[in-house]
Amino acid sequence: MGPFIIRRLFGLIPTLLIIVTLSFFLIRLAPGSPFSDERAVPPEVKADLEAKYGLDQPLWAQYFRYVGNLLRGDLGLSMKYPQRSVNEIIALGFPVTLTLASVALVWALLLGITAGIVGAVRQNTVWDYGAMTAAMVGISVPTFVLGPLMVLLLSLTLYWFPPAGWGTWRHIILPGITLGTIRAAYIARLTRGGMLEVVRADYIRTARAKGLRESLVIQRHMLKGGLLPVVTYLGPAIAFMMVGSVVVEKIFNTPGIGPYFVDAAFNRDYFLVMGIVVLESVFLLLMNLLVDIAYGFLDPRIRYES
Amino acid sequence: MQSTRRLCILLLWASALASCESSRSDYFGTVRPKHDPDILWMNNGAEPQWIDPGKCSDSNGGDVIWNTFAGLVEAHPATLEPMPDIAHNWTMSDDGAEYTFFLRDTDWSDGYKLTAHDFEWSWKRVLDPATASKYASIAYVLKNGAAFNQRALFLRGVDPDIPEVDVRGFMESAIPVERLEACSEPPGFFVYPDGDVDEIPKLRQHAVETLNKGFLAGQRVELSVVDSSIVGVEAVDNFTLRVRLENPIPYFLNLLSFYTFMPVPRHVIEQLKDKGFNPDLWTRPRNIVSNGAYVLKEWKFRQYMLFEKNPRYWNADRVRTPQIKAYMVESYNTCLNLYRTGEIDFPGGNTSLPGEFMDHLRAFKDFSNEPYLGCYFYWFNMKEPPLDNPQVRKALSLAIDRQSLVEHVTRAGQIPTADLVPDGLAGYDSLKSPLFDPDKAKRLLAAAGYPNGIGFPHLTLIYNTSEGHKQVAEAAQQMWKDHLEIDVRIENQEWKVYLKNLELMNFQMARMGWIGDYPDPYTFLELLSKHSGNNHAGFSDKHYDALLTQASRTTDPADRLAILRQAEQYAVEQQPLLPLYVYTRSQMIKPYVKGIWSNYQDRHAWKYIWIDERWYDRVPQVPSGDSPPPMVQKS
Repeated sequence: MGPFIIRRLFGLIPTLLIIVTLSFFLIRLAPGSPFSDERAVPPEVKADLEAKYGLDQPLWAQYFRYVGNLLRGDLGLSMKYPQRSVNEIIALGFPVTLTLASVALVWALLLGITAGIVGAVRQNTVWDYGAMTAAMVGISVPTFVLGPLMVLLLSLTLYWFPPAGWGTWRHIILPGITLGTIRAAYIARLTRGGMLEVVRADYIRTARAKGLRESLVIQRHMLKGGLLPVVTYLGPAIAFMMVGSVVVEKIFNTPGIGPYFVDAAFNRDYFLVMGIVVLESVFLLLMNLLVDIAYGFLDPRIRYES
Repeated sequence: MQSTRRLCILLLWASALASCESSRSDYFGTVRPKHDPDILWMNNGAEPQWIDPGKCSDSNGGDVIWNTFAGLVEAHPATLEPMPDIAHNWTMSDDGAEYTFFLRDTDWSDGYKLTAHDFEWSWKRVLDPATASKYASIAYVLKNGAAFNQRALFLRGVDPDIPEVDVRGFMESAIPVERLEACSEPPGFFVYPDGDVDEIPKLRQHAVETLNKGFLAGQRVELSVVDSSIVGVEAVDNFTLRVRLENPIPYFLNLLSFYTFMPVPRHVIEQLKDKGFNPDLWTRPRNIVSNGAYVLKEWKFRQYMLFEKNPRYWNADRVRTPQIKAYMVESYNTCLNLYRTGEIDFPGGNTSLPGEFMDHLRAFKDFSNEPYLGCYFYWFNMKEPPLDNPQVRKALSLAIDRQSLVEHVTRAGQIPTADLVPDGLAGYDSLKSPLFDPDKAKRLLAAAGYPNGIGFPHLTLIYNTSEGHKQVAEAAQQMWKDHLEIDVRIENQEWKVYLKNLELMNFQMARMGWIGDYPDPYTFLELLSKHSGNNHAGFSDKHYDALLTQASRTTDPADRLAILRQAEQYAVEQQPLLPLYVYTRSQMIKPYVKGIWSNYQDRHAWKYIWIDERWYDRVPQVPSGDSPPPMVQKS
């Protein structure tokens, strides 16, 4: 397992480099300048600003400079928030997004796995239909509908939670549930599907024949096999949740890093766009690696050659 | 099944509560403050880019600066008339081009003395090209300010009356020259090299190396890049500031209350620099020193800023609320939700109310709607046929039913206009050009060679992506179809793409909004001058520019307004743009928040705001007295 992980980690480097290179040149292809504004900026001032960020250099020189800085862990200065470095912006926003993602994940797993188990164990009963209908609704209702609905009900009508903001546990509940529900719906369907695949397997029958309690059969045998598709799904899902949600963070005015995905691109905040792309790529690649490792633990048929 | 029943009960209960709440209140949402009376919760829109007066160009930063820094004068909270702030008195020279300000003995929030030298340093810093201030052009009113900011070359010691052609010849022996400007004080000529922005620094250097100490008209001349020493602001002593202007500008005092003219603490900025820190970080809470009503205590990035009353502000007794918490909520809908639940008391001047709720909100007592110093219009690209024909431009303008547009499309009480300058601005009587005349529009189009729109080429109107702009564009498109029988395509563009196309004049018609910086017609008319970087119509007219220059040199206010009116009349005849309406600002203010008065710029000084404590117990029957403060007089 050790050499496998090391080999995979080294494999990440060229992938990351390709992502960085493509993103760097693609964002520069977009028309418009980070310093253009509705009120025209004098050309001299614009030139000074461009010089401050090194944009007056040839593009290839900027690229090598960026990659050099990146290797030292310096993501550059933001253009939209000129007093802040991209490192600082990510350091301020990332804990917020991470907190939100954790709450959403816990909610998604609790709700999703429970509903999935119920659906699988009570297959073709009203419980199964109910849980799977709810899951289908959960998948179909987008966050930009669910979020405002939650605000309308739990905030504007019942006054239980603040409609937006950040700072106390009460601020986390609504965006956490909104972000987690759609994942819960997927998890429920995947858990149910995964469990149904193993429910008639020989080793389950053997477990029952041994006289094992049904709850233990579910817990030890069915769930373990049933969770494999969930794990596959969870890798990228967690990576995406960890870099935030544009929609949910906008609706609830959460100061995480989610909105930068869109805003930084719209603002042509080149270095912030790059910073977010690098962060997301690293997470995605690492989470995929973790999924592969987790497979080894969950499925005894999978072994990684040394 | 039981859970379904529970959910149904919950929903029924919620809707019952909602209906109870809406029927019992004349106000939108809660009316009991959720906080102590010594704090105000407001929204300041987006995270400010800068709260450094010299670098700020966004309204979110501007509002913070207005309330944390004090300039020479402040705008009256209701009338926006300039009244003494740090300057307790001032005099103006007979020609109206020189002011002398007398400053109070006041302190920065760290106890340092605030002097006239701070103002001189701060204003020169704004103009210093190294600062790269996006708003430096607002300080071009200062003598030689533009030349300093644009790094012009200065031919010192040359008689400004010698023929320009001689000077041009002398300079062009070394570099291409874009334009020359005679300077009376100190005598000489400003020279602007001609070339790409990237090449100009080299041209400047070459000219200095070649021509400095050369001979022009028999005199040895000095050639150098303009430095700050000739900019028209000078601290005579610690408490006297002398300001020389390019022209006698009647709105100069109004301009001084703009945030760019606030002082910055030189001692703090230089200390940071000396210690090897990035001097831009002087506005962080741990470093910031200000001289206004409030000081910044806490800055949570993209969450909120917390301000406390500045005990060292010279007029601290006037500050009524000890703390202000300004949230940064960008979404209009989210802001309205927060307002409804009492999480904020006042959406602030940087947030708009969602257009789709306007009709609903209008019914509540805490809603207000006032005219705003801004105009919404469409640029015509005058270089692009058929828009190079004034009859076509006029026809397109007269075919728009502006009254119907504001009543049925924008629906926020906007004032329809076909003029450039809003009515009643600084005593200016607007032209009141005809708003809608479809018959004349048809005749004009026929005269231009397109009877009933036959043969009229397809035009495209571009706008930056927004539901509001789209609705207005669709309405205009339909009106052109109905009244002129022409097809105009409308196209939305992403913001930066749209800006780039405007800059390159790569469009036929483009939407734009222009917000005035100061209450004077010039702020709108300047837009069409040849040298305005914001003139996207390709309108370059010597007669119009001459009228603006003449107005700038006229000292009599009534005569000046008359000349400006002539200029506007001329521009409206040329129709380089198609004005649609004057903006309005819709606001919601909780009934317990007092001390906010409407004004043309939607600017609200926090120091006057206070919380009416009677609302903590019940809805008071008698409204509290809340009239704007009297004008502070010079002393």
